[in-house]
Parts: sequence; C-alpha cells; structure tokens
Amino acid sequence: MGDAFRRAESGTQLLARLEGRSSLKNLEPYLFAEEGFPVHGDVVEFHGPEGTGKTEMLYHLIARCILPKSGGGLEVEVMFIDTDYHFDMLRLVTILEHRLAQSTEEMIKQCLGKLFLVNCSSSTQLLLTLYSLENMFCTHPSLCLLVLDSISAFYWIDRSNGGESFNLQEMNLKKCAELLEKLVREYHLALFATTQTIMQKSTSSAESSFSLKLQHETDTDYRPYLCKSWQQMVTHRIFFSKQSNSGNSKAFSVISCHIQKKHVVKRSFSIGECGVQF
Amino acid sequence: MALLRAALCPGLTAQMVPLLRASGVRTVVDFVSSDLEDVAQKCSLSYKALVAVRRVLLAQFSAFPANGADLYEELKSSTAILSTGIPSLDKLLDSGLYTGEVTELMGAPGSGKTQVCLSIAASMSLGLKQHVLFLDSTGGFTASRLYQMLQAQAEDEEEQLEALQRVQVTRVFDVYEMLRALQELRDSLSQQVLSSTGPLKVVLIDSVSAVIYPLLGGKQSEGLALMMQLARELKMLAREFSLAVVVTNQVTRDSSAGPLKPALGRSWSFVPSTRVLLQSKEATSEKTNTRRIASLAKSPRQPTGIQVVLDVGSGGAQELSPATPTQGL
Repeated sequence: MGDAFRRAESGTQLLARLEGRSSLKNLEPYLFAEEGFPVHGDVVEFHGPEGTGKTEMLYHLIARCILPKSGGGLEVEVMFIDTDYHFDMLRLVTILEHRLAQSTEEMIKQCLGKLFLVNCSSSTQLLLTLYSLENMFCTHPSLCLLVLDSISAFYWIDRSNGGESFNLQEMNLKKCAELLEKLVREYHLALFATTQTIMQKSTSSAESSFSLKLQHETDTDYRPYLCKSWQQMVTHRIFFSKQSNSGNSKAFSVISCHIQKKHVVKRSFSIGECGVQF
Repeated sequence: MALLRAALCPGLTAQMVPLLRASGVRTVVDFVSSDLEDVAQKCSLSYKALVAVRRVLLAQFSAFPANGADLYEELKSSTAILSTGIPSLDKLLDSGLYTGEVTELMGAPGSGKTQVCLSIAASMSLGLKQHVLFLDSTGGFTASRLYQMLQAQAEDEEEQLEALQRVQVTRVFDVYEMLRALQELRDSLSQQVLSSTGPLKVVLIDSVSAVIYPLLGGKQSEGLALMMQLARELKMLAREFSLAVVVTNQVTRDSSAGPLKPALGRSWSFVPSTRVLLQSKEATSEKTNTRRIASLAKSPRQPTGIQVVLDVGSGGAQELSPATPTQGL
C-alpha cells in the first residue's frame, strides 16, 4: 500500500513530505536533555500519575506551536488525538490569552486555526483514524507536531477483549505503534504521547527513592506495560511527578531521559493561570 | 471490530466479500491495513474499486479531525457553567459545574456526598429549570429530603412539584444496570425530538464506587475493563451532549496514618477532570454537625488544595431534620 501511495504523490506532496516541516527548535529547551529540542522523527513519551502536569505540559507545547512568530511562537500546525475525552479547549484559550500581547478574539481564533483535534473511542477507531490522517499529513506541510493523549487509554479494555491470547490483547496497539512509527518517519513529524501510570510500582518504596534511583539507572523502576513496538520506538521518555509539600512554588518536576544517549536532566516547574512556567 | 459484509459501504459488493475473505481479509481493519495491489491480484478484483472502497471505509469508520477554531466557536455556544446551589462550592469549582466534564465528589461515609448531590439536583431543577438524571446505586436517594430542599428554596407549591418532576431517578444496583441506563440515556438524547422530557444538563451518579467495587480483585483485568468502559461512556456522554456528570466515590488510605485518597485506584484516577474531597469538620459540642470542608483535589482551572466550608444542612429546613447524610455504603 505504501508503494501505491507513493506513486500517487504529487510534487507538492513530495515537497511537503521531505522538506516542508519547519524546525521545532525553541519548542521548549528546558524539557530536553543535551540537544535542546526534538528533531523530526522523535517520539517523546510523557509518563506519570494523575495530576502531575502531563496535559498541562501538552497545552504549553501546543501554545508554543500555534502562537504567531511575532508572539514568540513557532507558527506550526498541531494534530491532537484525544483518546481520553479530556482535552479542555477553554483552558488552552486561557493560556493563549495570557501569552498574546493583545488577545483579541480574532487572534485567538487565528492561533486555534492551526490546531486540529480528533477524538477516538476505541483502539480500532484509533488505528483507522491514523490511517485516514495520512492524507492530512501529506496536504498540510506545516503540520509538525502529532500529540496523542493518551496511548494507554485502551489498555484495560483491549486486554479484556483479547481474551487469553496475549497477541490478540495487544494487536491493535501494536498496529497503531507501527503505523505511528511509519507516519512519524515518512512525514517528518515529532510525536508526543502520554502514558498513564496505571500499574503499581513493584516495590512499595516511597517516591523519593524512586527519583534517586532513576538518576543512576534511568528506567529501572519505571514499569512499562504497553506493547514492545511502542517501547522500542520511544526516543525520549519524560517522567512527571509532583511534590506534595505545599511550601514549594515549583511543585512539579520532570526527569527527561534521552533513551539512546542515556542523558538525564531534571527540571522543576510550576503551573499557574498562564500555564507551565519553568 | 467491524466485519466486512456486502452493503457495509457503497462499492463493497456481495461478490467481493467472499473473495476477500478467502484471502484473509475479514474485517475493516484487515482491509484498510492490507496492501491493495496484492489483494487485487490475489482476488482478481479491480484495484481501482478496492482503493475506492478503502477510502469510503476510512471515511465511515475513522474519526474526523475538527479545526480548533471551529471547535472553539462551537464550545462557546454549547458550554454552560451550572451553579450547584451552594455558593461556597461554586467558588471552589470556579463558578460551578462545567458541562462536558466529569466531576467527582469523594469522601468517607457521612461526609455529605449524597446531600451535595441532592442539593445540586434541587438547584438545577428549581433554579435553572433543567432536567436532572439521578442514578442511585446505593439506595441513598431520598425524595423527602429533596422535597425539603425545594420547599426551602421556593414558596409556591406548584413550582416545587414541577421541580420534582424534572428530577428523574433510576435505581441501578450493578454496573450492567448502570451501563444500560446510560445507553438508554444516550438513545433518548440522540433522538431528542421524540423525548417528552426537556433538555437534560446534569447526570448525577451516587455512587460509582458502589457498582465498581464488586468487580475489582480476583480476575483483575475484566473488572478494570468494565470500569474503564463505564468511565469512557460517562466522558463521551458528557462531551457529545454537553452534560455535566457528577459521580461520587469513596475514600481510602494506604496505611492507617496516611492521607485520604480516592478509592478505585490509579486507572480511575485519570477519569474525573475535577475532584472534590468532602470531610466532616471536627465534631463540635452541638448535636447536629452539618458543616463540611470541601477541598479541591484536582482541577483543570483552579489551583488544587483550596478549601471552603459547606453547610449540608442548609437548603432544607434545618429545624426539621438532623440532616445526617444518608449513605448506603
């Protein structure tokens, strides 16, 4: 099928595919170790328990992308796949309003025009939707960022639907991961996906020892539960956590790991009315 | 997973289906993900026809992306912020319940969850003239208490009765009954024209933990799958029909000295957008203690941790009853 598609490609589509995507430099330097920005083809996983700022961080990145260049943004398009029915448009608008110099209704709508949203209610629908989005990546050369919140949404339902067979249980997700990898590679996108901490850690040790350990052996205590194809395509994994002691203004923190180079960087941030602040 | 059959979509003929099946293409997913050139050769079908079918299948079965600006425009007209009827709780929730979201009230037995639900029902049906669906899974719904609250808020008897009629109560005592009730709700909402009831804005579920608890443990993944199915249905209903969904949940502790945390575990923790913890205020010397502390445990808008004091005795005539919350759990 790939070949069939390639043959039908027009000149503009070819250009869009190969060089149309603008750089994601300045997306958020604090979030990445070493090189400072994700390159096209990177797959970034946000992992953490509930209420640790993953979705807020996504709003932050989306705002950075869709704001005009004059307002410090990158002016690129974003595709957001919402599998949790969780995306809060009004929250994103609040963040945009705080970051625009003059936030007229017209300006807000101009920014939001660069965002595309799609809801998926099952892993089958997610897979079919990814297939149908291929055409969109072709025709929108300024679409640089693909966001999937979250890729673990169907985990329990798929596990139960698959019955006894382990292969059947993760078949849809495996296909999704493979297709995502192909899309990201061929269309030079950067993919951000969240995975939720839904498994108990193997030991009942406190959070503190978790982060300490993490600095030595990056991902030992993190318990991967999604299919192998997904684990293998991730290039950056970012762990989110929240300190419970209230005195600290920067209560949220991320530990960002570059999977291949084993770089680790730790940052803390706060979340206010205007969104994420490092 | 949709199986391929004739007339599933235009272009997919009765001749094609058995040929496709013979070469292992049974479902929509199989069809869309297979190499059509290959299939065309194996089944000696027209490549052009297959490509056309693929396009139609994708249009039919995939979700369609919406532009953010259009969605925002739509949301501005469909989103409503509904007052709970308790001023301090409204303040905590940034002026009320938002449609399109799932809000969770959690607390130990006797912390006032059911009372807050009843108060929301009263305020919606009387003040905002909206219909309310109350799914009662603990037997905790008491019509007399609701009537009491209505009486305290409106003088006119006619008005009180009209308000009572706008509150529909369904008793559901297990998760299957609850899912069926929600399916019926979905059906009636999607054929709005036929329904005799007016627009529905609020669904109250008291309590969600009562139907999920029996599923957990043992063969874990099945119970969790049902729980997530319920969660998904609630969130989809909230989004698609602009409903405010309120659920109540129990609380638990890791250890006897640990802080209170919501029951139902990690997977459920991602479901509600907003969580409010209800706690009794330290017992005072008075006999009836109707004061509760509500603290915000999760919110997409407000900083978490802020607290307000509620009076669950208000709204009803205080001298009439000790106003102890009726918890079935």
